[in-house]
Amino acid sequence: MPKRRDILAIVLIVLPWTLLITVWHQSAIAPLLAIRKDDGADRGRREAGQSSDSKEYCSSDKDIVEVVRTEYVYTRPPPWSDGLPTIHIITPTYSRPVQKAELTRLANTFLHVANLHWILVEDSQRRTPLVTRMLRETGLNYTHLNVETPRNYKLRADTRDPRIPRGTMQRNLALRWLRETFNSNSSQAGIVYFADDDNTYSLELFEEMRSTRKVSVWPVAFVGGLRYESPKVNAAGKVYGWKTVFDPHRPFAIDMAGFAINLRLILFKPQAYFKLRGVKGGYQESSLLRELVTLNDLEPKASNCTKILVWHTRTEKPVLVNEGKKGFTDPNVEI
Amino acid sequence: MATRMKLKLKTVFVLYFMVSLMGLIYALMQLGQRCDCAEHDMPKDRTISRLRGELHRLQEQMRKAEPTKLPHKLAVKPAQPTIYIITPTYTRFVQKAELTRLAQTFLHVPQLHWILVEDSPHKTPLVSGFLASSGLAYTHLHTPTPRDRKLQEGDPSWLKPRGAEQRNEGLRWLREDRRGQPGADTQLGVVYFADDDNTYSLQLFEEMRGTQRVSVWPVGLVGGMRYERPVVEGGKVVRFHTGWRPSRPFPLDMAGFAVSLKLVIANQDACFDGDAPMGFLESSFLQGLVTMDELEPKAENCTKVLVWHTRTEKPKMKREEALQKQGLGSDTAVECVRQPVLHQACECQRDGVGVFFFFFFLL
Repeated sequence: MPKRRDILAIVLIVLPWTLLITVWHQSAIAPLLAIRKDDGADRGRREAGQSSDSKEYCSSDKDIVEVVRTEYVYTRPPPWSDGLPTIHIITPTYSRPVQKAELTRLANTFLHVANLHWILVEDSQRRTPLVTRMLRETGLNYTHLNVETPRNYKLRADTRDPRIPRGTMQRNLALRWLRETFNSNSSQAGIVYFADDDNTYSLELFEEMRSTRKVSVWPVAFVGGLRYESPKVNAAGKVYGWKTVFDPHRPFAIDMAGFAINLRLILFKPQAYFKLRGVKGGYQESSLLRELVTLNDLEPKASNCTKILVWHTRTEKPVLVNEGKKGFTDPNVEI
Repeated sequence: MATRMKLKLKTVFVLYFMVSLMGLIYALMQLGQRCDCAEHDMPKDRTISRLRGELHRLQEQMRKAEPTKLPHKLAVKPAQPTIYIITPTYTRFVQKAELTRLAQTFLHVPQLHWILVEDSPHKTPLVSGFLASSGLAYTHLHTPTPRDRKLQEGDPSWLKPRGAEQRNEGLRWLREDRRGQPGADTQLGVVYFADDDNTYSLQLFEEMRGTQRVSVWPVGLVGGMRYERPVVEGGKVVRFHTGWRPSRPFPLDMAGFAVSLKLVIANQDACFDGDAPMGFLESSFLQGLVTMDELEPKAENCTKVLVWHTRTEKPKMKREEALQKQGLGSDTAVECVRQPVLHQACECQRDGVGVFFFFFFLL
């Protein structure tokens, strides 16, 4: 008698476990295989920590698949012509109250530009629903990536700046994505432009940058403590210096919004990235550009750098005093 | 024999306990991770992309069928009410940038007429040139603010109500223009007061187009809160959700309401009172036009934010600004309010397994 009861007990215990294991086994193995990918070539370029890197790689891997399958094939809003080079806009963004507003008006601008591909990189651990939904609703051609900048980044005391300039890791991720998606042999013409989400861009700017052969430059308003900063152009139409007050002897004394790079050049020099650490204030753009071009190769646009087509506007941080400690408004309402 | 049986059962239980404990720990570790919902999302994705493809094919066909100058503009229906946007503006560094991105938004909206009123004794060439090349239907007006009502250098922005004279000038022009064109059709329209530094989503304009008297909706980033909004019950506005002086007759922002053209013309004297106390500018206009229960709530019964009261920083014209723009200044130190990250609801087997393990552990 006890023997049978024991056997019954054992069977009752073991049966659900075997069911569980078979079911779980099926679903667990498949995604594990997908995540494992050889990252050998990029090992030297690891920016984030190990664990977060594989996660963000996983998310970008998913994005690549999604983009190729759905966005590129079917979504072609504003006019898309096969003759024009695609403008790849790289925008780093981060969550704050004005984020949705900034991205909305940026999208309203981009909807006018033909052959535009928006690469939006969030500074977050995972892609937020707010941005995901917003991107889908705009109808733009986009790629949604994310990588989180480590918040408590500590350096040795002797280094002057303890923080990674905002947006650097995100821009680098986008460059890496471009290098993985396009190969140098492809005939797809493209231009890469770094557009921050709070600047203002005129539509003329995008047409000016479309003819970039290597790197093109133009003036930017409200930077360097001036009404505008601009490259100095000589009579032969070549850039020979920088009209700026703040450290004009930088290799490239230009703002992030003041230049665009031909995609071919990005693919041709796969080791060129923004330098993460040890970059002095104002030298971030130079850290990338000096690996790509010399001053002589720069192409001045905007009527030989005499017109302002982009403004480095900054949005005020909204005063939220009336929210109080607990929050007065419904947090489920998205702003 | 009995002890051997007992022993065996004991070991079984011990084993059981260990396995379920390990499983629970594993499941707990997995709980924070991203779900792989590919199998569930893929068919949905496919349907979405197929439908999107069809939609775009149809849109392209439509575009090819009608030869319009701006192909992305929607087909204009003859009886669609025109939206008249009254925007006061004044000369400052960021003016052209603000107007540029505002125009880029307006270009997407069909049947829109922009009434831009400068705070200036005469029309400035910057604005004239800008409007001429904008591609929009516009009216360029100007009227200077009297000196005693003007903000001085160093005054906080909320000290005196701004733009009252300019908006009144816009209303005056509109009324005069409509008087010169009598007819029921010309009375069809909506008037909206859009400041040049706010941010507007395209959906907002479609929401306001059907305004019969005065329609209202939430405004983001205003009143010291994430958003301000009218509270709607039974399809009617019963009160206003605002953190600042809710006892005002109409505690909403300029960007939070639109008035039908018919109402504007019917009440020739309704205008903004430039001497109104802080925050009462909107009420001074709306008081004579409508009562609270006549308000038409839009934006899904005032639950969606379609307009944001953004403000642009005054660019610092000092050389130190260069360090700020690199993100090495105060920017990175300020951890702004973060949006709560909603965990993606996902029919994931992994989470189910975790629950399973938990119950077994309890057993």
